[in-house]
Amino acid sequence: MPDPTDKVVLHARDVRFDWSTVPAHWLPGEPVASHAMNTLHLVLPEGERWFVRVFKQALPHIRDEELRADVLGFIGQEAMHAEAHQGAADHLAAQGLDPAPFVAQIEWLFRSLLGDRDLTGPAEHQWLLERLSVIAAIEHFTAVLGHWVLTAPLESAGADPTMLDLLRWHGAEEVEHRSVAFDLYMHLDGRQGRRLRAMVIVGPLLMWMLVRCTRWLLAHDPQRPERPRWRDYRRLARRGLLPGPRELLPAFWRYLPRSYHPRDEGSTELAVAYLASSPAAKAAG
Amino acid sequence: MVFSGAGSGDWSAPPDLYGRPRADRAMLGVARVVSGVLRLSRRGVRRQPVVRPVDRDLRLVVRAVTAEADGVVSLRLADPAGAALPPWRPGGHLDVVLPSGRCRQYSLCGDPADRLGYRIAVRLVPNGGGGSVEIHSSVGVGDVLTVRGPRTAFPFVGRGPYLFVAGGIGITPILPMVHAAERAGADWRLVYTGRTRASMPFLDELPGDERVSIVEGMPTAAELLATAPEGASVYLCGPPPMVAAVRGEWGGALHFERFSAAPVVNGKPFEMQVGVGGPVVPVAADETALTALLRVRPDAAYSCRQGFCGTCEVKVAAGAVDGRGRALSEEDSMLVCVSRAVGDRLVLDV
Ligand SMILES: Cc1cc2nc3c(=O)[nH]c(=O)nc-3n(C[C@H](O)[C@H](O)[C@H](O)COP(=O)(O)OP(=O)(O)OC[C@H]3O[C@@H](n4cnc5c(N)ncnc54)[C@H](O)[C@@H]3O)c2cc1C
Ligand code: FES
Ligand SMILES: [Fe+2]
Ligand SMILES: [Fe+2]
Repeated sequence: MPDPTDKVVLHARDVRFDWSTVPAHWLPGEPVASHAMNTLHLVLPEGERWFVRVFKQALPHIRDEELRADVLGFIGQEAMHAEAHQGAADHLAAQGLDPAPFVAQIEWLFRSLLGDRDLTGPAEHQWLLERLSVIAAIEHFTAVLGHWVLTAPLESAGADPTMLDLLRWHGAEEVEHRSVAFDLYMHLDGRQGRRLRAMVIVGPLLMWMLVRCTRWLLAHDPQRPERPRWRDYRRLARRGLLPGPRELLPAFWRYLPRSYHPRDEGSTELAVAYLASSPAAKAAG
Repeated sequence: MVFSGAGSGDWSAPPDLYGRPRADRAMLGVARVVSGVLRLSRRGVRRQPVVRPVDRDLRLVVRAVTAEADGVVSLRLADPAGAALPPWRPGGHLDVVLPSGRCRQYSLCGDPADRLGYRIAVRLVPNGGGGSVEIHSSVGVGDVLTVRGPRTAFPFVGRGPYLFVAGGIGITPILPMVHAAERAGADWRLVYTGRTRASMPFLDELPGDERVSIVEGMPTAAELLATAPEGASVYLCGPPPMVAAVRGEWGGALHFERFSAAPVVNGKPFEMQVGVGGPVVPVAADETALTALLRVRPDAAYSCRQGFCGTCEVKVAAGAVDGRGRALSEEDSMLVCVSRAVGDRLVLDV
């Protein structure tokens, strides 16, 4: 049941990860699953810095002090996520898998294509609102994936504990702040058409981007894993080691109705419980 | 990475991902989609909804002031017309705006099922920033206070087992947790410490059995944790040294809340000029820039003192900042409650 008190004060946690002992295939014997999740280290740093830039532009328009506090907490958390995944990306490079060519494309996407586009006046404001609706749609998936990673049987598959802690700390904070982008969009605009447009584009594009990135990582992996096939994905999804179509497709549809609110996704309880035992979050205090 | 004219569709995409000597075709496709969205977005100018200001302030009347222990009073706050108040959970707190304009946080320590009143309890901190003194000396029955929240920064979750550890006034968020655990039939223990029994509020509201240990003085972390049930989650609220000690000792799940700033560690002293041409205050190694700022600007705004509320953000006119705490809403600014100077001088633009 949705509950208005199921919401926590957001604050960034000053986490550190020691990557030195983490293998590229951090899910042992599963290069496809490892790289499917390594994609996050390539896509997220630029993506989350973009969230931060766009949200900072939105701040002066907010007329709700509580939402403003939420947005500032969100900004702090996303900024930390970007730095943490950057560390993991640098570690991939140190292991001979230099992500630079892929990251160059992501940079172009978030800095130029989805950047400010030299607009002024009403066009500038509409582009800000459009991007807020895009971020709200992306944050729907990050909450869904955050909840997934908190519950997936990754430790029994032998996942490296440091990588698992990064993914779960991040996933838990995504669940903690899952309502902020949506609430911000609803506060500053809220039009259903724009919301639907964003999801119809974000859903497929995000999945395509992650598949493309997984393929690229596998093709450039110095350990030369076998070429990925769709049946690998089906097997991994069945074992719960990757989010399957049964998680992702319904998530897409759930976003569309007017009655959607992110508080119905994921569980704050689970997120809070993880953060209380996460080695990185505990060390950060 | 140059583009010509917003929305013209004439983009140079990045080079091909697999090194073919051409622009990346997939990215050209993405650029076309995004340019289409950009064009559509402009139509949003028509029927642009106005942003409605949201006022969440509650104006609550003080219905009762009760002495709970030496130096601790509780306030009962209620809607003037007797309306139901917004719900809260154990671990929730209110932001209370005092008559002087100071804003302080107080944990809700009543019963969440009582929707007609909030109870908070305030320990007198004689040499503090004046907020608790103000409540003790000049807030009385019938006064109206502006209150924001409830908010939860110390969420209570799970099914137990639990070890609750409260130091002094830190009992306030713990008390409703103990009662919730008891109602849920969970396995729990409480260790409640204070200088003397007479200074410890709510002793009479705790179950009088062996699950509750009342300790006078300051036990070690190992002593605090000795009664933890197997696999317990620890919920801790107390003075900073107690929080630091338990964090160092406890390997299991740990939830905690601090009422005041974490101690400054590895701080270097520096000088801070308050405003260009303004007074210069020294910031000692073991104090925050906020503490120093308050000596010359007693009205400076602050709230959580832990770098998460953003109230204390100020512009910096000169000097490099060792920035701490949550993200800033403006460039060239700092959270004075947690950030310091990189070098030996900072100039604040206040
Ligand atoms: C989430 C949260 C919940 C809180 N809940 C309560 C509560 O239920 N009851 C309550 O009395 N206070 C609570 N506080 C603290 C409260 O907000 C004030 O800080 C406190 O009343 C002192 O206010 P002040 O203006 O007198 O001093 P401040 O300017 O706030 O503090 C001045 C100095 O006193 C120290 N100090 C603050 N509190 C104490 C204390 N209890 N004992 C010793 N030194 C202290 C600070 O570290 C600081 O150095 C809470 C704080 C937070 C952040
Ligand atoms: S007082 Fe809250 S961030 Fe500084
Ligand atoms: Fe994130
Ligand atoms: Fe997020």
